[in-house]
Order: sequence, then structure tokens, then C-alpha cells
Amino acid sequence: MSTVSPERRDDAGGFGGYVGTSGTPVTARHPVNEAMIAHWCDAMGDANPSYTDAVFAASSVHGGIVAPPAMLDVWDRGGLVVNRQGASPRTKVMEALFAQGLDSIVAVNTELEFPRYLRLGETVSSLEVLSDVSPLKRTARGPGHFVTTRHRYTNQLGEHVGDLMFRILIFRPEAREESMQAAAEREPDPDPALRPAPAINEDNRFFWEGAERHQLRIQQCGRCDRLLAPPGPRCPACGSFEMSWIVSSGRGRLYSFAVPHHPKVAGFSYPLTVGLVELEEGTRIVADLVGIDPHADIRIGMPLELCWLEGGALPLPQFRAPAPVRAFETVHLDELSAGDALPVCSVPITTTLVVAGAIATRDFTPVHHDRDVAEREGSRDVFLNINTSVGLVERVVSDWAGPEAVFRSIRLRLGAPGFPGDLLTFSGQVAAVEGEKGTATISLKARDSLGDHAVATVELSLPATAGMSRS
Amino acid sequence: MRHAYAGRTAICGIGATEFSKRSGRSELRLALEACVAALDDAGVDASRVNGFSTFTMETNPENELMRLLGISELTHFSRVHFGGGAPCATVQMAAMAVNEGVADYVLCYRAFNERSGHRFGTGVQGRAPVATAEEAQYAWTSPFGLLTPASWVAMFARRIMHEHGVVSEDFGRVAVADRRHAATNPAAHFYGKPITLEEHQASRFIVEPLHLLDCCQETDGAQALLVTSLERARDLRQKPVVIEAAAQGMADQQQMMRSYFRESLTGLPEMGTCARQIWETSGLSVDDVRTAIFYDHFTPFVLPQIEEFGFCGRGEARHFIADGNIELGGRLPINTHGGQLGEAYLHGMNGIAEGVRQVRGTSVNQVEGAEHVLVTSGTGVPTSALMLGTDP
Repeated sequence: MSTVSPERRDDAGGFGGYVGTSGTPVTARHPVNEAMIAHWCDAMGDANPSYTDAVFAASSVHGGIVAPPAMLDVWDRGGLVVNRQGASPRTKVMEALFAQGLDSIVAVNTELEFPRYLRLGETVSSLEVLSDVSPLKRTARGPGHFVTTRHRYTNQLGEHVGDLMFRILIFRPEAREESMQAAAEREPDPDPALRPAPAINEDNRFFWEGAERHQLRIQQCGRCDRLLAPPGPRCPACGSFEMSWIVSSGRGRLYSFAVPHHPKVAGFSYPLTVGLVELEEGTRIVADLVGIDPHADIRIGMPLELCWLEGGALPLPQFRAPAPVRAFETVHLDELSAGDALPVCSVPITTTLVVAGAIATRDFTPVHHDRDVAEREGSRDVFLNINTSVGLVERVVSDWAGPEAVFRSIRLRLGAPGFPGDLLTFSGQVAAVEGEKGTATISLKARDSLGDHAVATVELSLPATAGMSRS
Repeated sequence: MRHAYAGRTAICGIGATEFSKRSGRSELRLALEACVAALDDAGVDASRVNGFSTFTMETNPENELMRLLGISELTHFSRVHFGGGAPCATVQMAAMAVNEGVADYVLCYRAFNERSGHRFGTGVQGRAPVATAEEAQYAWTSPFGLLTPASWVAMFARRIMHEHGVVSEDFGRVAVADRRHAATNPAAHFYGKPITLEEHQASRFIVEPLHLLDCCQETDGAQALLVTSLERARDLRQKPVVIEAAAQGMADQQQMMRSYFRESLTGLPEMGTCARQIWETSGLSVDDVRTAIFYDHFTPFVLPQIEEFGFCGRGEARHFIADGNIELGGRLPINTHGGQLGEAYLHGMNGIAEGVRQVRGTSVNQVEGAEHVLVTSGTGVPTSALMLGTDP
């Protein structure tokens, strides 16, 4: 129970009286069930068989199907129509702040702790405690109060199954005026339509016709099958003028890269990262890299996958970090050292991901599924809800660590919003290995084009050595 | 194979304008001033010139130079393509013409307002997409934002760092040496302005991994060189500077500064082609060479040049440089005029003039015993090189 000083009560705009008070307990409408788990796994792209495969799960460390731990705060939520029952001190604060014109809410922190995983058939109840209302603060979004709640989760037998600390910002949106200096330093228009157009002739037209169809074509000799890059009208190996092409798999590795800063040219966003990519077919291609921080995450030799930049005269090939690669064997503690990097990976943000993620986490706030409402509320589009961000963090860590890594906690700070059309690029490292506790701490960052979308810390229990793994 | 003109032709005169950021004069006038200065240096009357050799990028046509220098006819006028790869090759064209008896005196020249007029550093942005074979090659880089020479070179530099353990400071030591040499050259833009490695590191990035101080200047000015037979040169005002060897080179999937498709990006095979010819034709070896002018539009490509000519092994240039070999007093002081980072960016032509001064013994940073001076042209492009030496 937090203690609140009188000064803070005043700062909190008269809400200090609510701090430390509890709401009424809330009980989930449905027990933990396979259908909701399946929807969640589909939305997040989490294929951990511990959640869906009864045979695997039975012989796993869990001994049976368990719910994804990141779903802890999903079960007790209301639906589209049925709202949460009972009294909530946070709701009272929100209503009062709305009346003062602080009418926007954004989630900023979530900290989930999992003493154990939930099993099918358990019915979750939660109890909310309002633990803090901050003084009015100036934030990048506008003036507002940070409101923190703590939630304790129990099952139908009263057994403790989890805890959540959740912090939201309730604020009055403020359009920030561009300073004179910022206007002067403003970079040229990054609209890709302004990029230099390729000179297209009979010898390279096949490539650009492929680009229109999102095919990355590589020229191939029609006689000796040798690949030729850059292309030309004659095969230098066999002398044939019959030139054909194949479609690249789009997979490759980074061979080199450059980061142009000056001069800044319209059509590009700076700093720009331009890669020289060696395709798995063996030829190279120059293309922009998206989502990969050239000062942190980039490595010559890193795997890359093709995507396309739209908005210009022609689609342009680009490369991003590949999708998370799922490990089928669980990593052991003795394989890890602090500082080890997780492979950089990326997840495209689609409208489907935003909406499916929101619904799978029973978050029916319209800004996460209804573009009309989102735009009316001043957002450029629907955007990821915090539970989807947590779910994606869990999936990325689980894909890397393997199916029997057991999550002990996930702490996440939300930053830049995730809008459809953007790309989340995950990079992380092993922050600590604690052999005695049998745990490893992973720090993870998810960036998008607007900045750090989420910064997370995850604690995992892992088998100590190979001998302890499931046979 | 030994080239026929080698040892039988010479540079007999050099002339330049001042090197500035705003000449205030036309490019044609700059070219004329440099040519006149080269003729004066040699003590040759313009009427005896019957040949010109320059760059395809040169904007001043030979007919205008002929008319305004008061020359009545020309029997040879040749141009060399591929930008900064041309300078040593203009001398080779001239030497071949002279040795063949096609021309008697050939002026090699390059003039531009490259700072106050069209700046090469801005690259190929805004260039119309004309579908010639040459322009179509830019389709593989320009739409992706590699639009400047610095950006094209950066891709190689990163790979050199990755494979050879080179760090930015290794590139910086080239800039420091150039600027140290420029600091004592009154003709240099950066006369009296040496830099430290710390200043190099602190300079802003232009295209990572290239800092501002890895990049050459942009200059207004002109440089001319007068080429004739060694026999004629012996009767002129200056000690002849013998063309001991000259070479052009293009190799291994060559592209214009964007040879990204060759197997290795850490060498300069086109410079290797030049090196082989230079050593074969001159009959010299690295032990005979005490100073060299290495083309330095961007510092990273100085490293593989040292390696291609065999002054050290592959991947060892960073040690060669860190050991102090490239500065005055070292094994192979380079760019004793200050190079294109320190003196001026004259598309490499000013480097040939410094090679001439070293052989004459008149450089402000004279290297003792500089009997044979190696000069190179642009890197990353089809290129050329020269070996200049004393009259035996």
C-alpha cells in the first residue's frame, strides 16, 4: 500500500484521497480457454506449442497446456458490449480528469509478474489498487497526470497467479509549434516520389517490370544459366544474347553499408542506411535498409529479407531484419553470457496486427480497431495497444529462447506509437545470467520509424545445462 | 612489356593558377592562364604547341584554347574518360603522340570552378534519367540514396574496415599527413593549417564511415603540363622530368566508383593493372621510390593503393601508415604538396605537378633522393598512373 504525502495529494489535483484505495474484485467472464489462447497466438504469431499442442505440452516443463503469460491481464476484461463490473478508483480519477479537459489516455508502463502460468479451466479474478496519481506534468504529448494501479490476480481457489503494475498518462493533447530553429533545420521532403528515377532501357527494363510486381528479378543467361548483376544484353560467360531472369527469394546477408548524412536530398529520410546485400542466389544489390539502427544493431553478415518501398514512381526493393526465427530447442543458461546479442528481427505493423492484437487482448478501445474514431481523436491511424506490444515481446523472446523458457516477468515501457505500414525491429541482449536462481534477464528494444516503440526487460527461467532439457 | 615512349618523353613545363574557392574568372580563362604558365615555365612559345590532351569532363574545348593561345593548327587532341581516373593518362596520351611523331609539344590541362560553379560533391542528384548504358548504371544506386562520390566510396571503406581491421583513425592518419604537408606549402589552401587525429575524429560525418576530413576539397583553379620528347626537353629552361612509365588500368567487373559486384571490395584491381605496367615498363621496384603522390579524393582508397603497388602486403597498409611511413621523414612520404585534401582538388593534375617538382628538386617539402616519383590517378574508377624520374 503506498503512502501519500499531503503535498502530493494537493499536486494530484485532489485525487490523493483515492490513492491506496481498492476497487471491487473483478472475475473473468470465461475460464482460461483454448479458443482465446488460439486467437492470441494467431494475432501475435506466437507458435510456442506449450500453448496449443496438448501432446507437446504434456511432456514439457508445464505438464499440460498453459496460457501465454502475457495474457495474464486479458482474462478479466470485459467485452465489446459488457463493460467491466464494479467500482474502480482509477475510473473515478479518469472521469474527474476528463471533466477538467484532460481527455486523452495513453498507456506508458506495464510490469507483469508470473509466479506460475495459468492452466485451462482456471477462472481468474483481479483486485485493483490505485497506487499513485502524479502531480500535473508537462509531457511531450501535453500536460497530464500519470496514474498507476496495481492488480493482483488469483484463481477460483484464491491462489495467487500473478501481479501487474500498470501506468497510464491522462493528458490534454497539445499541438507543439515548430520552433524557428527546427523549421530552419527541417530536412528535405522525404516523399519517395521525389527520389531520383532510374534510367530504364531495354537492358534493365525486366528488373523494373519485376519491381512493379514486387518481384526482385536477377538476370540469368538463357543458355548457360549464369546470373549476371548488374544486368546487360550479353552473357560474358557463354556469349549468348538470350538473356532471361529468375526471381530472387529475397533472402540475403549484409555485405557492406553506408550512412549518408550530407548532402540531404529530397525523397530520402536521414540518416539513411544504404546496404550492399548479397542475395542467397549469389549476386549483390544496393538497397536501403529499414528499421536497422546503423549505430547499434547493424552487423556485416546479418541476415536480411526483402520488402518494398511504395510511394515512388516504382516500388523500390528494401531490406529489413528477418522475421523472428523460432528455436525448437530451449536455450540453456550455460550457453548464455551477459552481453550476448539476440538476433535482430522485425515484425511489420499491419492494420490486421493492430486490430487482431487488440481484440485478442480484449481491448476494445476504438483507437485500436476503428480508423474513423482514431482519426477523429487526432491520431493518424489506429495504433498498437500495449498488450499487443507485450505479446510481441513475449513472442520474440520465446522464439529465441525456445519453447520451455519460462517467463517470470515482463516489464515494458511504451514510447513511440506503432501505426500500420511501419515496421517493428527488435534488438536485444542478455542483460544478466543468474545461475543460482536459474534465470536470465533479457533487455529488448522495439524500434519503429518514429523511435523507440517499446523498451522491455524480461526475466526467464531456463534449464541450467543441456542435461536438464526435455528429452 | 616496355612502352615505347617510356624514357624518351618528358614533362618540360608545369603551370597553375592560384587555388581558391571562388576564382571570379571563367573556366576558360583559368585554363588559358595555366597553359601560359606552363609554357613560360618551359620557355616554349605557344606557336610550337600542336597537341592537347585533357579529360572528357573538361568543359573548355581545344579549339577555344588553340584560338586564344594563338596556335594556328593542332595535329593531336585526345581526351580521357572516367573523371579523376584521367590525369596521368592525359600525360600518357601526350607522350605517345610525341613519341609517334604525331605532335611535338602537347599541353595537358584541367580547369574548373569546382567550388564556385558546379560542385562534384553534390553528386548526381537531379540528373535526368537518360537511358544510355552509362547512365543506366546509376539506376542501381541513385534511387537508393547513393548519390555522391563520398557515398560510393563509403561502401568500400566499410568493407575494408570489416575485412582488414581498419578503423577510422587509420583513414585519419592519411588526412593528418596530407594536412601536415600542406601546412608548409604556400600554394595550398590549407597552408599553415595542420590538423590532429582528434580533429579528424571530431569532424562531422559526411557519409559514414567518412568524416568531413576524409574528403578532399572543392577547388577553383587550373593546372597545365607540357609534354615533349626528352631530346627537345634537354634544350629547354627546366631540367627534364622523364616519363619513365605511364599506364591506364581497368579491371574486374569495373564500374564508376561503384564496382560493388566484384568478388572483393578491399583492393583496387584497376590500380593493380597500372602497377604491373609501371614496374614492368620502368624496370624499377618499390626500393627505388622514395616518395609518391597517391590520389586522395577520399582517404580510405589511399590504403589499397599502397598495397596494389607493393609498398606493403595486402591488408597491411594500416600498419604501414601507423608506423609513420607516409609522412615527411618516413619511408614513403606521400602527397608532399598536401594532396587534394590539403593543397587543392584539381582532379589529380596538381599531383603530377608536385611529382615534377620532386624530380626537379624544387618541392617545398623536398624528399632527399627523389629520383623516381610515382603518381596515381583517381581511385575506384578506371584509372592511370605515372612514374616520373630524373634524366639519367
